[in-house]
Amino acid sequence: MGFLAPFFLFGLLAVALPVAIHLIRREKPPRVPFASLRFLKATRRKRVLFQQIQQWLLLAMRAGIIALLVFAFARPLFFQGSIGQLMDGEPRSVVFVLDRSLIMQHGDRNEHLQQAVLERLDGLQPGDEAGLVEFAGSPLSVRALTTDRETMRGAVSDMEAPGYQAPRFGPALRAANELLREARHERREIIMLSAFQTIGMQGIDSAWQLSPGVTLQTVDMVGDPARNLAILDVRAPDQLVEGGGGHEVLARIRSNGSVHTDEARVTLLIDDEPVSRDTLSLADRSEAVARLPVEFESAGQRDGEVRVEGDDFSADNRHFFAIDVRPEIRVLLVNGSPSGNWYEDGAHWFELALSGEGVESPWSVTSVTEDEFDPGELSSHDVLVLLDAGLSTARQGAAVSRFVGNGGSLLVAPGRNTGGTELSEWLDVLPARLRQAEALGGNDYLLLADRDRRHPVLEPLDIDWSARFRGYWQSEPAAGSRVLMRFDNGDPALIEGEAGAGRVLLLTTALDTSWSNLPLQGLYLPFVHEMLDYLAQPPRMPGAYVAGDRINLSSWMEAGETLEVRHSEREMTTLSSLDPVLVASEPGILRVGRNDSQRLLAVNVGADAGNMEKVPGATLQDRLINPETAPVQSERVRSAQLMSEVEQPQRVWWWLLLLVMLLLLLETRVANRTYR
Amino acid sequence: MAQNENFIDPTVLGSLDNLELRARVVVEGFLAGQHRSPNRGFSVEFTDYRHYQRGDDMRHVDWKLYGRSDKLFIKQYEDETNLRCHILLDSSASMAYGSGGMNKLEYARTLASALAYFIMRQRDAVGLITFDEGVRDYIPARARQPHLMQLLRTLQALKPGTTTNIVKPLRELAQNLKRKSMVVLVSDLLEDEEGTIAMLRQLRAMGNEVIVFHVLDPQELHFEFGDSSEFVDMETGDTHITTPGAVRQSYLEQLQQYLDYCRTECQRGAVDYCLMDTSKPLDQALFTYMSRRGRRF
Repeated sequence: MGFLAPFFLFGLLAVALPVAIHLIRREKPPRVPFASLRFLKATRRKRVLFQQIQQWLLLAMRAGIIALLVFAFARPLFFQGSIGQLMDGEPRSVVFVLDRSLIMQHGDRNEHLQQAVLERLDGLQPGDEAGLVEFAGSPLSVRALTTDRETMRGAVSDMEAPGYQAPRFGPALRAANELLREARHERREIIMLSAFQTIGMQGIDSAWQLSPGVTLQTVDMVGDPARNLAILDVRAPDQLVEGGGGHEVLARIRSNGSVHTDEARVTLLIDDEPVSRDTLSLADRSEAVARLPVEFESAGQRDGEVRVEGDDFSADNRHFFAIDVRPEIRVLLVNGSPSGNWYEDGAHWFELALSGEGVESPWSVTSVTEDEFDPGELSSHDVLVLLDAGLSTARQGAAVSRFVGNGGSLLVAPGRNTGGTELSEWLDVLPARLRQAEALGGNDYLLLADRDRRHPVLEPLDIDWSARFRGYWQSEPAAGSRVLMRFDNGDPALIEGEAGAGRVLLLTTALDTSWSNLPLQGLYLPFVHEMLDYLAQPPRMPGAYVAGDRINLSSWMEAGETLEVRHSEREMTTLSSLDPVLVASEPGILRVGRNDSQRLLAVNVGADAGNMEKVPGATLQDRLINPETAPVQSERVRSAQLMSEVEQPQRVWWWLLLLVMLLLLLETRVANRTYR
Repeated sequence: MAQNENFIDPTVLGSLDNLELRARVVVEGFLAGQHRSPNRGFSVEFTDYRHYQRGDDMRHVDWKLYGRSDKLFIKQYEDETNLRCHILLDSSASMAYGSGGMNKLEYARTLASALAYFIMRQRDAVGLITFDEGVRDYIPARARQPHLMQLLRTLQALKPGTTTNIVKPLRELAQNLKRKSMVVLVSDLLEDEEGTIAMLRQLRAMGNEVIVFHVLDPQELHFEFGDSSEFVDMETGDTHITTPGAVRQSYLEQLQQYLDYCRTECQRGAVDYCLMDTSKPLDQALFTYMSRRGRRF
């Protein structure tokens, strides 16, 4: 029990007034002659004792009235806990922001964090409310403010283990700030328990600050100095050709710890089998590259892993990747204008682009002339290329159309020797009708002026095309075809079409030097490669993700279809076309699809997730605490306000005044009976 | 209430030093509204006729009128009594108590004077006995006018005495009465009311008319004291400290029992009892009494 205005308690001295008056009035009463005392004396035995009791009762009531009035003015209040607790505390609204990122897996930090939160929950005063925000790259869970301490304790005890994401402070602090907007108390506080990695500051809006009045307390969960090696990056081709000889996987290793690492052992595993090793020596906060040779003898998808050892924190020591070792792409090249002069021979430039100087080429090219072309050979090839070539019979056209319809691919680049009319007539899979060849005279030429920069063929070639074209075929695109490039006169330059399961690309100009200087451009080789890749390979999805990414697999599913996703270390998950998004929660290899068409997706921790470089808590506070924060009130003022808030709903003084009124009425009645 | 306007306030009456004048004021004021005795008898002074009724005394039949009218008429006369009245006045110390303009003794003295004046005016004989613990003055009953002056002088000189013994003078009076008389006791009856009433009933049984004027002060009747006080018994000197408010209810209950006893016992013995409040006009009390005693005067 306490008093809002304790100085009024000095008024209790006034209780002595009725006692003093009572004592003073005990002086000898006046003598009153009366005719006879016989009736007075008759009442003596019955009344005197009661009269004395009444007088004492009156005295007690009058003293009680004064005392109650004093208590009422002193504004008493009742509260739980001791006065000391009440005076020391002020109801607070506290949001605990807990780091659940990768770094919290280090050592026993997670246990320390839970213990620290539980201790602070126990330290909350009655009436305090607490909320919870768990975060990593984004807020993982948010619990609203509550005074139910047991619920909060349960939530903290039942927290899931830290994940594999890198921390981001901004979204978590925003979530905590939003929680505090609904706070009941004026004193609002965020207690952030984190390793305070520097990378957590990324993404914080430089103009954003906490709401006025919200304080930020940082609790550093960094442990002892430690060695930590992280694989920042692994460079490995996502596609290889079988039997292509030796390759090398490069792994960039960084020492994120605070002490020197003498021996960092780096191992490359393919399909869980170690294939090569390397050893590095790393000073703190330094990087080195490990070179890991590997060979692939057979085609197929392989899962790879680079593993580093020699530090105190293993959660970021593994990096996964997938490699598609595929067979060669077989190309049947029909050369319509073979020439003894290699400079003028389009097939020469084309074969040269696919040959691969010094490296294993993924293509095998079979070059024939128009006369040598046998449609029967199409079944043993993946792509048919018609360079300035036509078809001699309608039968050939029908065969090529069947080839494309069955999944084969066709690249057509007509030149001055191509019979465009017959080709358009016999080859119904052609995405445009060739009308006539247009040869520009003099020094006139055309440039490529417009292209679809998002098309898989042209997306990697987003540079200035300087090729000049002096001749081309005017064409009329067919319905359903797509014009991917146009000349600067507006005529189509590259047209894509689909027929059955196959694809067709029509370049309306020759790929030799007769009509353009394109073969002489550096762009020629990647252009040819991208066209053939596009024609021969299904569309590829990005094969590498970071833990926490949301992978949308809708492009792999038809409507109503399901897709199986099997984690290397977890059970299978089935996705439907209605919910095709998979959250990559852990690092590892995801095997997506059925056995006959399986794709491997690699999920890794962020490159900086294990970076132990930390930002001082004071820096975070300086950056985020709003300078308009209300000045901290003195303990006395805060206590007075708190007690006033506690007293307001109780209003004990109302009841005391009511009691005073009742006592006054009773006193009046008793006094009248006693003295009247 | 119209009568009240004609009555004299005791406070005003008390300011008159001359007891004869005081008695005359009371009686004349009273008689101004009465004029004539309502009692009709068979005295010497004729007043009226009435038809004969069965049981009438044949001596009062007017035979001359019978001879003229052949009807029987009875002659009626104003009643003329030959009353001997003895007034017993309590002059004990308790009678000296008064909270207003007149104390009880003063009030009783005025009442006795008025009665004496009135009785003498009726040509009846009146005597006076004053007493406290014993008889202090005794004046035999006579009907002469100088007797009234002696009686009034005695009353004028009366001082409060000591304790009260009412039975003693009543007993002596009873022993000395030779013929039927009227006995008027004016007292506060605060001592031995049982013996007193018994003696009065004995007097009444002897064939006397007995009237008791019970004189009490308003404070005795209502006990409206305020602060705690030390009350002193005016006869015995005993003291008693009390808070009036606390004992008032009990006092009034005790008093009411006492008054009820007095009234009831007097009525049982055919003794006329009249409680007199000294704050009420005296002639009003006289009127009240005379109305009650009308058939005898």
